[in-house]
Amino acid sequence: MVVVFFIAAGILLVVLQTTIFMPSPVSSFSPDLHYVLVAYLALRLDLLRSLLILLPLVCVLDVLSGTVLGMHALSCFSGYFLLQQVSSRLPVNELLYQIPFIALSYLIVSWAVYHFLEFFTPGQQAAWIWWKMIIHTIFVAGPAYPLFFVFDLLQKFSHRHFLPHNKLRLRSDNRRRRTT
Amino acid sequence: MRKKSNRKRSDRYRLFRIILFVGSLATGASIFLFSTLSSQTFGPLHKLVLEMTGPLQKIVTVSSNHVETFKREYVDILQDSLRLREENKRLLQQLQEKEILLNKSREALATNASLRRLLEFKKTLDQQQSVAATIVGKDPSTMYRSVIIDRGANSGVTKGDPVVNSEGVVGQVFAVTPNYAKVLLAIAPSSAIDVLLQKSRVRGILKGNGTLTYRLEYILKTAEVEEQDHVVTAGYGGVFPTGLQVGVVSKIIKKSRGMFHEIEVTPSVDYQKLENLLILEQPKSSEIGKMEQN
Repeated sequence: MVVVFFIAAGILLVVLQTTIFMPSPVSSFSPDLHYVLVAYLALRLDLLRSLLILLPLVCVLDVLSGTVLGMHALSCFSGYFLLQQVSSRLPVNELLYQIPFIALSYLIVSWAVYHFLEFFTPGQQAAWIWWKMIIHTIFVAGPAYPLFFVFDLLQKFSHRHFLPHNKLRLRSDNRRRRTT
Repeated sequence: MRKKSNRKRSDRYRLFRIILFVGSLATGASIFLFSTLSSQTFGPLHKLVLEMTGPLQKIVTVSSNHVETFKREYVDILQDSLRLREENKRLLQQLQEKEILLNKSREALATNASLRRLLEFKKTLDQQQSVAATIVGKDPSTMYRSVIIDRGANSGVTKGDPVVNSEGVVGQVFAVTPNYAKVLLAIAPSSAIDVLLQKSRVRGILKGNGTLTYRLEYILKTAEVEEQDHVVTAGYGGVFPTGLQVGVVSKIIKKSRGMFHEIEVTPSVDYQKLENLLILEQPKSSEIGKMEQN
């Protein structure tokens, strides 16, 4: 259930990112909300479920954004593993301390992916502009706290049992029989 | 026995007193009535009564006036304010509804004007088949510039189709699904279009750089180029029709090294207001062959 909920949340974030938060096709200041979800998965969820959520998310991202297929897969998985490695070595587990790491990892991953693509397909990407990327990074760090709160709620909500299994379970005739 | 007789006597005395009192009152009232009716004069008694009741009347009248004034000044105002508040609420709601309606009609008017421009532009495209589309999504990445449109293969859109609007060239179809397509904008760094300088007919390649300007490449230094020169599509290869407006030369950087000019072109299309687009159907290879033979 967690996987389904987070896939839906991820798709919703990508859709918001490509519609409401992009007032014009050349708008430079749309927040990369999907990266906050990537960070959440790295910091709060186990590997298997995170990968199950990330796979459809990067697929949607690759379809709706960019011209090089796999670019978003590269950035999301790099960001995910980087954050996971960093968080396992960090002495603090508080979100407020983790937000700067999320922002920093976003900047590092974007820079690495840009240079990786520039190496293989030179001149096919818009030039790297530091101030724009720093603003983008701020736009990732800004909504991180509220989005983490929402994701926590979503996780709690997804753990609820929608079907009363204990009531649906088949019981034997003698309910008071002692099982040894 | 003695006590009983005393009580009987006092009872009789009390009855006598009542009768005497009622009798004297009735006699006085009769005399007063008779004398008043017969003489019709406003006697001292009347005056006394008036003097006594006058202040009372005055107090009541003044008080009632004050109450009336109070009611008029406060209670009515309160009622009025309550009524006005309701009225205000209703009018505000009405105003909001009208504003929404106005915005909708303004939006419809703007869309209508944009579509009308697009239609007029479509008429100028001779016999070239075209499909109108609307942008439904925009690329949020900083490295690329593309949009998603609401027309796909089912509407006859194919990969490589040129995309234009009434202002000029917008880009090219990059990927197609049955109902949607991805358009690579001409300002994207991976875009390249064959163009001509309209005045000098010099050919070059127009490339995007991710910002709101193009780069015009491969224009020899020997070629005549001036600022404000119009740049149009060359039409080679048959993808874009010849002569479509692309932009205006805005900057020429002359360097001593190299064979070519560095030219900056300002797009004729306002990329910040892109909304409705026209996808031109590419001529088939056989048609291109015919065109080249002619």
